[in-house]
Amino acid sequence: MATAPKDFRFGNFVGSLIRLILWILVIVTLVGLPLIFIVLFYVPLPPVNGEVLTPYLFFSMMVDPTRTVPIINFLIHTDFFRVAVFPGFTYAALLAGATIFIERKFLAKMQLRIGPLYAGKIEGILQLIADGLKLISKEIIVPSGADKLIFWTAPVAFVVTSAAVVSLIPAAPGWVVADLDVGIIAVFAFLGFFPLIALLFSWASNSKYPFIGGLRALHQMIAFEIPFILSALSVVILAGSLNLTDIAEAQHPYWFVLFLPISAFVFYISSLAELERIPFDLPEAESEIVAGWLTETSGMIYGLIQLGTYIKLYALAALFVILFLGGWAGPQIFPEEIMPGYTGDKIYNATTVNAVFWFTIKTLGMIMLVLLPRGINPRIRIDILLHTGWYKLIVLAFINIFVALSLVYGGILGPGGLLST
Amino acid sequence: MENFEQKFDETIRRGLEIVKETEEDRLMTLSVGPQHPGSGHFRFTIKVDGDYIVYCDPDPGYVHRGEEKMCEYRNFIQNIPHLERPVIHDSTNITYSYSLAVEELTNIKVPLRGQYIRALASELNRQVYTLYWLGIYGIFLGHSTMFMWPLGDRELFIDLLEALTGARVTHAFNIPGGVRNDMPEGFKDRCLRQVAYFEKRLVEYEDIFYNNPLFRQRTEGVGILTKEDAIKLGVTGSVLRASGIPFDVRKAEPYDVYDEIDFKIQYMKTGDSYARSMVPLLDMKESCHIIRELLDKMPQSGEVRAKLQPNPKGPAGESYKRVESGRGALGYYIVSDGTPKPYRVKLSVGSFRNMLALPFLLVGSKLADMPSIYWSLNYWPVEADR
Amino acid sequence: MSSNQSNTQNGSEQKKNVTDSTQTSLSKKTEITIPEFEGSIVNQLVTKFTDKIVQVVYVRPGRTKILVPPNEIVQVATFIRDTLGFDHAESVSGTDYPKDNQIEVIYHLSSYSDEKLSSHVLALSTRVDRNDSRMPTLIDIFKSAEYHERETFEMLGVYFEGHPRNERFLLPEDWADIPPLRKEFRIKGR
Repeated sequence: MATAPKDFRFGNFVGSLIRLILWILVIVTLVGLPLIFIVLFYVPLPPVNGEVLTPYLFFSMMVDPTRTVPIINFLIHTDFFRVAVFPGFTYAALLAGATIFIERKFLAKMQLRIGPLYAGKIEGILQLIADGLKLISKEIIVPSGADKLIFWTAPVAFVVTSAAVVSLIPAAPGWVVADLDVGIIAVFAFLGFFPLIALLFSWASNSKYPFIGGLRALHQMIAFEIPFILSALSVVILAGSLNLTDIAEAQHPYWFVLFLPISAFVFYISSLAELERIPFDLPEAESEIVAGWLTETSGMIYGLIQLGTYIKLYALAALFVILFLGGWAGPQIFPEEIMPGYTGDKIYNATTVNAVFWFTIKTLGMIMLVLLPRGINPRIRIDILLHTGWYKLIVLAFINIFVALSLVYGGILGPGGLLST
Repeated sequence: MENFEQKFDETIRRGLEIVKETEEDRLMTLSVGPQHPGSGHFRFTIKVDGDYIVYCDPDPGYVHRGEEKMCEYRNFIQNIPHLERPVIHDSTNITYSYSLAVEELTNIKVPLRGQYIRALASELNRQVYTLYWLGIYGIFLGHSTMFMWPLGDRELFIDLLEALTGARVTHAFNIPGGVRNDMPEGFKDRCLRQVAYFEKRLVEYEDIFYNNPLFRQRTEGVGILTKEDAIKLGVTGSVLRASGIPFDVRKAEPYDVYDEIDFKIQYMKTGDSYARSMVPLLDMKESCHIIRELLDKMPQSGEVRAKLQPNPKGPAGESYKRVESGRGALGYYIVSDGTPKPYRVKLSVGSFRNMLALPFLLVGSKLADMPSIYWSLNYWPVEADR
Repeated sequence: MSSNQSNTQNGSEQKKNVTDSTQTSLSKKTEITIPEFEGSIVNQLVTKFTDKIVQVVYVRPGRTKILVPPNEIVQVATFIRDTLGFDHAESVSGTDYPKDNQIEVIYHLSSYSDEKLSSHVLALSTRVDRNDSRMPTLIDIFKSAEYHERETFEMLGVYFEGHPRNERFLLPEDWADIPPLRKEFRIKGR
């Protein structure tokens, strides 16, 4: 229970409140209101629902909630919404937050403990927010002799690169930020940035353990990049396209995981390594090299890298779903009409909602599968890891490439195949 | 194979100057500890050439408390609580040999039931210690479930010891002349229930942790200590038994009632990290058996401690007694000059003796093997520092 | 080693004390029978070296203590290792005796390779001058004494000649006081 300080005076308290209100009023009057007027009167606003959005129309819409529908409808179809909200950053960040919560609870259940409990009353659901606030409020310590520019930009670059990967992933038919013809190659191109960032950051930290960690990250990610790409290659052969939406839709009746189980396995293992998760968390192996390339991170720099890592986790899980688990395909469970007579085409669209639902479910399941090894495995050793990457996984990936090729040339799958629609 | 003498000189005696200056710029010096998550209250300086350790110099003493000096200022009974401090999670065993030595000096005979209860507390505490050790080993290998499960099961043994001794961690239960108090009612049944449960858990441990292929990859063939080297280095406890030498103080020199207990010495022959981590597990299994037998053979009633003088003292003399603790033979060398205070107390602890094997095994191994070798040596820094 | 020391030596009051004079007539004089096995070890030692070099302080079941002058300790230890079969040192410790102006350094030797000896601990002790406390190191004979001797050096100030690292081990690096286990070192407030 909070207690008042000894020199507490009610008058001072009231006075401070009044000062605060005064300042808010001053700022709103001098800055806020002119800003609103400038936007409403001088910036040309787009027509909404057939009418030009005038200030009068805007305020009347704000008063009547049912009339905000056109505004939302409009906003949803802007590029900004795609980038910032739905298939883009916010959706990924929310899923990343959910991942952290699930990871904690799931791991706790495996380890006969409870996990976060207090923050947010219900099963510690607000623990993440508490942790985030803690990280924000902590001091960021920059090691002496650090390369300041890289030290500050690398965490941001980490998050930005993760978000760039997310932007290529379609979450529902037509719902993708950047619908590239070379989608899958672009994904791997972006993933290639991560070892570079890790190495640069570890070098910029001017410390020994981060340096060893950075080198390990480099070794590990390069060793697993090749089986990673090769395992995706067999999917490309079957789908006949590099576009991720096309790949997802190419698996209409039969998911590729049925034909390419080995590739799926290689992809899964490689994404574990790419994500630096146990058993492949060598770059952060705390009992050997303190915290690896994250040793000198503190405060929100650590927070940003963690955010980036979990967004990347979502991206790779989603990529697995798109490549092997049929993307958003699933039985139609949402009704065409959410209320009688309303077949809202834009906001409530049964196909899209259904696709998003199945996509999210599959992605969450995939995320769980990525989290699972943490509870049952110790860390692998670096030489065994490299051996696994270079020798075993590449061979396995090649095996499934041959399977894919024989399926295509045997006329079973691919254009005009027996099983393709 | 290079011979032992040469390897010993190169690994343990090697001063900093031996690492040639021309090599200096290729090597990276890493200070593992005292703030390293994989060291404990302990530091060892290592030099790595690429991924290989070429130099290792242990530097203990961060938690040196001067226990031996403190003993000279207190009388025999007052010494018990502070002697527990080096290993608070194995506190019954560290006072066990102290009590044995003082009993020899002051000619105190322990009643039979007291001996049994003492051995029982010792076995329970060994389980507590080994479970803790196993949990930390899990953390060292990056296996967080292996950390949580043993610590959860350890709690049950701590509860048992709490019921028996009245304290959860530092029991001060062994005193010269027996134990402080008798078993509580219903303790036997509770103990048997717990042991039966724990034996089931041990099977799960073996299935889930020890048979995990990644665990085996990290420990098998890593840091091999051969039988001959182990003898020459004078290591003790599970490290010694993992190298194929069936030496256990409980068998070699049975103290109290251990000569009436039928048990086997668990040992393995490979001498690698896997054997060193497996032997404590086998010991725990055997310990369950010993606990059951102790409870079975224990006299149903009787004194648990001998009557003591207020300030016990014996004739001048000296005594060296050892018991098998969680970390191997734990000996006390006590010199008495006939006064109630000991003239000199020396603890010969397993951790300090096993520390010699650390540079011996680390030099030449990979940096990634450092945790699995270091913690498999059953080293407890606080005990080594005393 | 004068007989004066062995009287002040605590072992002399032990029930199975064997001083150098009684050693030759071991079976006749002692009231309590000496355990056979332990007695044979002692006999071997005394036969090999004369009783001037090896003084037997006590022989008890499982425990034997002998006292050797510091300049002879290397050859006695070599004999103990090679012929008697004690292969490692369990502990090396020292006891300060300001009254006699001496420090006793004691090696507790035991054996893993010989099963008969596994219950036995042979205490090999020597007494060095307190003001100039030097003795040859035994690390070439018992490798396991390496760190123990280092500890004894810093705790009691006994310089082990031939030990490569007579330096700080447990104590802080900036320790600037007398060795703490000497009796004139007092804990503050006690």
